[in-house]
Amino acid sequence: MTATEPQFVLAAVIASLFALGTFLVLRRDIVRVVWGVSIISQAANMYLVTMGGFAGSVPILGHGGGHGGETTITDPLVQALVLTAIVIGFGTTAFALVLTYRVYEEHGTIDLFELGERA
Amino acid sequence: MNQAVIAPLLVALITAIGTLLTRRFSRVQIGLSLAGSLGYLVAVYAFVTEVDPLGAANTFSYQLSGWVAPYGITLVADPLSAFMLSFSAIISLGALVYSAVYVDSFGQRVSYHPLYHFMMVGVTGSFLTGDIFNLFVWFEVMLMSSYVLVVFYSGPEQTRAALQYVVLNLVGSAVMLLAIGGLYSTTGTLNMADLAQTLQAGGTAPAPVLGLSALLFAVFALKAGLVPFQFWVPAAYRAAPAPVSAMLAGVVKKVGVYAIVRLYFTVFGAATLGELALPGFSGESLLSFYGPILFVMASASILVGGFGAVGRDDIDGLLAYSSIGQVGFIVLPLGIAATSGDPTIQTLGIAAALVYALNHGFAKGLLFLASGAVYDTVGTTEFPDLGGLSEKAPVLSASFFVGALALIGIPPLSGFFGKLLVFDTAGQAGSNLGLAVALIGAILTIAYFSRAWNRGFWGEPSLLVQHGDSRTSLVAVVLLLAVAIVILGVGFDVVYRAAEAGADAALNRQAYIDAVLQGGEQA
Repeated sequence: MTATEPQFVLAAVIASLFALGTFLVLRRDIVRVVWGVSIISQAANMYLVTMGGFAGSVPILGHGGGHGGETTITDPLVQALVLTAIVIGFGTTAFALVLTYRVYEEHGTIDLFELGERA
Repeated sequence: MNQAVIAPLLVALITAIGTLLTRRFSRVQIGLSLAGSLGYLVAVYAFVTEVDPLGAANTFSYQLSGWVAPYGITLVADPLSAFMLSFSAIISLGALVYSAVYVDSFGQRVSYHPLYHFMMVGVTGSFLTGDIFNLFVWFEVMLMSSYVLVVFYSGPEQTRAALQYVVLNLVGSAVMLLAIGGLYSTTGTLNMADLAQTLQAGGTAPAPVLGLSALLFAVFALKAGLVPFQFWVPAAYRAAPAPVSAMLAGVVKKVGVYAIVRLYFTVFGAATLGELALPGFSGESLLSFYGPILFVMASASILVGGFGAVGRDDIDGLLAYSSIGQVGFIVLPLGIAATSGDPTIQTLGIAAALVYALNHGFAKGLLFLASGAVYDTVGTTEFPDLGGLSEKAPVLSASFFVGALALIGIPPLSGFFGKLLVFDTAGQAGSNLGLAVALIGAILTIAYFSRAWNRGFWGEPSLLVQHGDSRTSLVAVVLLLAVAIVILGVGFDVVYRAAEAGADAALNRQAYIDAVLQGGEQA
């Protein structure tokens, strides 16, 4: 397998994740909307990792950074960025779910259409 | 290395953590919170003295943990961030003193103070950072706190508004992450100064830079509440407690405006369009592409906000729509400046936007706090139940009047100069359409504030108003902000020179690059 091949596969996967996320965000059920939002943000994370490229070995200096006979090292910065983004995403998803529960408690429904009609 | 750069950030962070730890001792917590906000003002003052916008106008950087740019995260101090920080510090202190009285003691004990200060941490970080991914992190810090503050009362209206606000901003964050990832993969850097240098040197394909910067632009427009990304504004501002609405409209919205000025004028302006330049557009710079976009969005905001506000039946709703229109007034001169290649008009346009942002921050902050005081007095802000407030609460009404006049633009208040500069920018650039839109906006502003004044404050006091009782401490804060608006108008020379220094700093790309990448102080 050449170094560029997984990127094409991942591009297709990311595209379908974005499509799925967008589809879920447009649903009437709030829980699905929250699902959709977290899928979109995970797709964004995957996009970041893919953008860093896959040519080269794991960026771990302590291990010599030269596994698998590769001479170059994959860009470690995007992975650090994605770690930060995952932590933030974890917090926001938790909050969104709690908020969904509060919406249910206050309105007795998680249907966005009904929620809109009560405004 | 200059420690004054990081001082405001650290003070806000320590205050936030301190108020979190002292939750059990409500008096200590409030004392600490107020002291922290005062300390923040002092730190910002030290920051401004170091930058010296009216004199040397220094631009200098602070490399976090000593990692040299472009590898580490850089904080940058320049007259532009000094301008934004100083007015945010004053408004946030005012709103915090007000909150200590206004927000119920249970709410304050649970989470209000830590959230408020974490929001200030996010705002400060966004104004200081010189790294686009770090900007994303500060945005998230600011947004996370603002989510909880919007849903603070946690009633039916609040949960619904917060849900809309949260989902929109989460999608916005994902889009921002995409744009940042794309920019990194196109240009190979996240440092704003390094990005500007890379773009200036050419050699990067213009098409992806244009597309990704446009994606990023949508996120900033969402934060600033520009049409067509304005629909979350009215619900969120009405749901949040009054001092939080004052902060959201007065300070948090300005972060979006600041990001547009910093990234598009300082950074992306360095890129050339090459073969992408559209016929009929002036200029080769990427910035000239955003001129018409900013102009159309600003004009639409002025009209949507203005007409929306005229039709509202409650003070909060009116103020929320009014902020959509007023952000249009801030962005309109930016649009004209971006289209024009003339450096004098660019400086004037950015200075006009900064002055208007300052004026809107103070005036809208005051008006939201006044609306909260009205609610505290009467129990409602719906016009049918109000009337005759000027008899019952003369000081509060007079302060509201000053705030309204400042947004309408009556001399000698700061709003007059803000409007004058917007008109001046449009006039000097020969943009008749800009003049027409600004004029319609000004007339609409007069219309909706006259309506608010007539229905809420003049006439016979209604039954609810007669039985209401206003709290002196709340009114005192509102009055102080009204006095501040008058002072800003009378001492406008200083404000204008600071705004001009900020505009010069935003346009002086080389000084920004040198300050970050060489770490030296630039005059």
